[in-house]
Amino acid sequence: MASSERIEEAYEENQHHAAYIFDPSGDADDTTRPAKRRKVSKRLDESETPSTNRSSSFQCLLQGAESKQAMKSRQETFEKLWSVVDFRIHSILRETNQSTLQEVASFLQNAPDHTPASKIPSAFIITGPNIASQGLLFEQLSETLQNEASARVVRLRSGDASNLRAVLRKIIHDIVLRDSTDGDEFDLTTSKDGRKFLNYDLEALHTHLGLIPRHNLVIIAFQDSEAFDSSLLSDLISLLSSWLDRIPFAFLFGVATSVELFEARLSKSTCQSLYGDQFDVEQTASIIDKIFKTAIAHSEAPISFGPNLMGNLLERQREQVASIPDFIKSLKYAYMCHFYANPLSFLVPDGLNSGTLQPEHIEILRCLPSFRRAVETAVENKKTFEAKQLFDDNKLIEYLVDSLQKRRQWIIKMLRILRIFTANKAINTSFADVYMDASCNGVGLSGQYDQFFDSIKRMEPCDSEGYLTRVLDTMRQGDRSLGLDPWIDEAPETVALLSDILDAIKRLRSDAEDKGHVLRSKYSGQSKILRTTVVAQKVQLSQDTAALTDHDKSYTDLIHRFLEHLKDVMHVEGAYDMPFNEVWLYDSKTPYKDVFIPRPRNVLERALSRPHDYLGCSCLLYRLYLETGSLINAADIWSAYYAVVGEDNEDGLDERTALILFYRSMAEMKAMGFVKQSRKKADHMAKLAWKGL
Amino acid sequence: MVRTKRQQQDIAETTLRSSSRRRAREEPEETLESTHLKGRSGRTGTSIRLDNSYSEYDFPLDDDAQARPAEQETPRKRAKPSMAPTPSLNSVISTPRGRKNKGVNVVTPSRIRGTMNGETPRRQRNDRSARRKSARALIEKVVAGISSDEEADEDIAREIYKSSEEDELEEDAAGGHHGEEDTEEILGEPTTPSGISRGRMQAKKGARTRKKSPTPPRDLPPHELYFVQNRPGAAKTSNNTLSSLKLLTHEEYFFLLRDYKDPHEADIEFLDSIHIQSFPQWAFELSQGFSVCLYGYGSKRALLHKFAKHMYDTIPNHSNHRIVIVNGYIRANMSSLRDILSIIARAIDPKQKLAAGGPFVMMESLKGLMSAHDITITVILNSIDAAPLRRPGFQSILARLAANPQIQFVCSADTPDFTLLWDSSLRSSFSFVFHDCTTFSPFTTELDVVDDVHELLGRKARRVGGKEGVAYVLRSLTENARNLYCLLVGEVLVTMDDEADSLGENPGVEYRMVYNKAVEEFICSSEMAFRTLLKEWAFSPQNL
Repeated sequence: MASSERIEEAYEENQHHAAYIFDPSGDADDTTRPAKRRKVSKRLDESETPSTNRSSSFQCLLQGAESKQAMKSRQETFEKLWSVVDFRIHSILRETNQSTLQEVASFLQNAPDHTPASKIPSAFIITGPNIASQGLLFEQLSETLQNEASARVVRLRSGDASNLRAVLRKIIHDIVLRDSTDGDEFDLTTSKDGRKFLNYDLEALHTHLGLIPRHNLVIIAFQDSEAFDSSLLSDLISLLSSWLDRIPFAFLFGVATSVELFEARLSKSTCQSLYGDQFDVEQTASIIDKIFKTAIAHSEAPISFGPNLMGNLLERQREQVASIPDFIKSLKYAYMCHFYANPLSFLVPDGLNSGTLQPEHIEILRCLPSFRRAVETAVENKKTFEAKQLFDDNKLIEYLVDSLQKRRQWIIKMLRILRIFTANKAINTSFADVYMDASCNGVGLSGQYDQFFDSIKRMEPCDSEGYLTRVLDTMRQGDRSLGLDPWIDEAPETVALLSDILDAIKRLRSDAEDKGHVLRSKYSGQSKILRTTVVAQKVQLSQDTAALTDHDKSYTDLIHRFLEHLKDVMHVEGAYDMPFNEVWLYDSKTPYKDVFIPRPRNVLERALSRPHDYLGCSCLLYRLYLETGSLINAADIWSAYYAVVGEDNEDGLDERTALILFYRSMAEMKAMGFVKQSRKKADHMAKLAWKGL
Repeated sequence: MVRTKRQQQDIAETTLRSSSRRRAREEPEETLESTHLKGRSGRTGTSIRLDNSYSEYDFPLDDDAQARPAEQETPRKRAKPSMAPTPSLNSVISTPRGRKNKGVNVVTPSRIRGTMNGETPRRQRNDRSARRKSARALIEKVVAGISSDEEADEDIAREIYKSSEEDELEEDAAGGHHGEEDTEEILGEPTTPSGISRGRMQAKKGARTRKKSPTPPRDLPPHELYFVQNRPGAAKTSNNTLSSLKLLTHEEYFFLLRDYKDPHEADIEFLDSIHIQSFPQWAFELSQGFSVCLYGYGSKRALLHKFAKHMYDTIPNHSNHRIVIVNGYIRANMSSLRDILSIIARAIDPKQKLAAGGPFVMMESLKGLMSAHDITITVILNSIDAAPLRRPGFQSILARLAANPQIQFVCSADTPDFTLLWDSSLRSSFSFVFHDCTTFSPFTTELDVVDDVHELLGRKARRVGGKEGVAYVLRSLTENARNLYCLLVGEVLVTMDDEADSLGENPGVEYRMVYNKAVEEFICSSEMAFRTLLKEWAFSPQNL
């Protein structure tokens, strides 16, 4: 009790400090103890790594009925699976920039040879509006350049560059610090003759570089070059170019708009001292697409996301943020949510952990809607015996493991179909959209698939030839980005059929060519002739089917066969129809939305205007505030306030107490930016915020 | 003009305006149909009637808008989309007759309806028989699609129609048995073809301009409310001032506040307990490299303090995971960022001192320090959007801090628009996860209530400079002078405590004693220096 009081006291005291170390255990010997402890802990740390640190971050679900073991396996599964996905995403990110990196590096390496004298070689990297992912790009760039061109790279952000002196200081400091890490410390403040340098004197850098025998480029990377003050940038460039004869500088500019616009911001003389080339970076949308394929649609993706969440995510990417780190974070958060809140999630990916299933888990499994549906269909199909068997827990677990393992087959089947689907160039929906639709609703013979079959029907012989070749190629090669292995061996009859059709089409075409007419099918557009007739001053349109030759007929037959086959093959059920999809399917957009797209203003307004949502009271002043015009008379609002709160009412307050509450509320409104002082009239305030806008 | 009549009928029918409007809404379908049917007859009448009936319910809520002259000027523009299906009409509409006809046919729908409803005939209605007849003639012609060679007849019919309209207007004006709204409709119709009584109408206009009621209609959508409240010249407020009210002083405020008991305390506690339940979730998010940001109404300082306690209890090893609490709302500390960074550095290693310099340099050396130690720091920042932290430099440093993998960053935000602090790159380096934490608990230390309100009211704050002033003075002094002040204040407080029982009014401290203590603590070396230092505080030694 006494100690808790003391803590409270400390808390009250600390509230006026700008910052303090939180340590409720008392601060008697604060300075000595941590140091002592550390010696002990270091040894401990090596044996029990962060896992102890985090073990408590997951909670036992099922109102605490979940066993520690299940909880742990949930957490471990999460960590294991996410790290795999994360690794894949990062390798994608690294790969995407690789070609740009190579180009830039080779340009800068060869720059000294072909750059005209007194010009600074500079690489302009068109990054696009995605500032947030620039960090990674420039990190990679500086890494590559340091390793390959053994250059020294200084990365500058507009935030670092408040003035010229600060920039120079940072440049010098960064270079010297990097070199000094591996040896004894260089004293950059004194020159050889003992003269002291100012810390922004490039002479210091010069002498420092002189100490090191290698003569290599000093590359200065301006990450967000548009955000730099243009006069500062001009000054810096001209200053550095005057040092060019002593220090070999080179520049990297990250340009979000275009080189022309960037150039327009610099003075002409500055521009003349630059000699550069332009490099493009892969744009966000295509990277997102790649990430989507590797992390979400991938055949080894441990959990799937439903169309609600994914649609939301992708839309937000397209329309608002367009930042890759944000996308990855959102994905991670979805993973976190799934494993944190779903007690069955430890069964992912293939139910191997089913040993830790508790009776409670089994009860939940039995209650899952997907399971119930599966049983119902079994009963309807007169498979009562199988259905009855599931009353046995062991059988249920067997069935569970079985259906979880079926998921992978399902994914692969679906991905194969989608690949066949997207090989058709007439379909121009993005892969992500198709995937979301397919994974949710399954692939059937409706909707856009109709369109797909239609487009195949209408294909010209050369198109269908190309399409068939592409399909066969896909089957032969698989799709690495989706984790699809070649499946040509698994479907020999399909392959045989397709190659048959392909050969036949080829033959027909050449035959037809020999005979001098163009091969076409019943459905292809040109078989219909549009006829225009003018009858009694009216225009009549009519279609006539041109006569088909034998070749055309047999081509039509081939296409029919192909279509039949596709219709047979292209069928897969949606994720929601899979039994136990709740284990691996996550499709809830609320936590994502709440957590990443906060609406603080609405929340605040709601709290103030309808406080009974949270409490049983009313925030009176705010309501009065809402009713006022743009100028508020403090005296009036006070009297209105007092009239409601004051003594005249039941359980009213006396004037002074009401006044302190009034004061407090006013101060809060001011702090939240609702009102400000107005000089128009005495005791008046200006209204600054309107609800709901 | 025409609408006048309509209004009257509505009153006569004793139907609610809304119901008639609903009916009016159904009409366009009819009219539209008829347009298509009869469009080819070359009558523009129908088509334009269509326009007018549109304009009528375009602004169903606002009577003023309905009567605005602009409405009358624009029908042609608006007509286009509805005309689109029949191209022939477009050419027709440009004929000069269009405008003339307009007035005539607008009324037809309501009139037809009137007869159908079979209401009791009134004087006006009976008088209008000729008019009705002519109107019917016009309609019938249109319906029948008779070609335009009977124009003479038609003109007569139109003439009759128009003149009766004028009569009616006069009646209306004289009779005055209608509501204010009606007259306003009349006045608002500037394109009336009638030549009569312009002057009279204008005279009336002055007398009858609609009084704007100070209370806006209820349940307006937010944007409407904004415009209502921002009407030009509408900011009329009374001239009352607070001069009769004795403003609160700091002493009174705090004295009363101590005794005040919030009736919602239980509710607030309940709300708190809900938030406390999500502590493990926040901890998990932190451990996964996210930063947590709490927003919503109410002070979140106490909640975060509880969270710190929770974290502290769950940390298995306190030496490699420490918690630093930062109060962003502390005012007037220009060096607060430096303080924050150096405190964090102290949390990492109490012996190490950060290199002095700009915040960027400090940040770099802090990074170096962190990478050298295997330690996790949880930084809990109260009020990230407080005024002292709003400068852009601060936020980017904080973002860098938060982006460091060894730092777990939790903060609270109080204002509604705090997200504007960050651009996309800052936001992504913060990698925030937001949680709604409406606590409703009062901002006690965060706000300086009395000063704030007085500033808001344009009154001079009672305390000169307040905290800022004190901090400013202290900062401008030498280290020794500050220390002496510290000593002096400490002494005075001790004496005040001692003398609280006795009736000492002005507690004094002994000059010699203070001097001795100052010498002991190496604040000054000679009495001369001591006196000079004391002068900073404008204490003459006699006071001691």
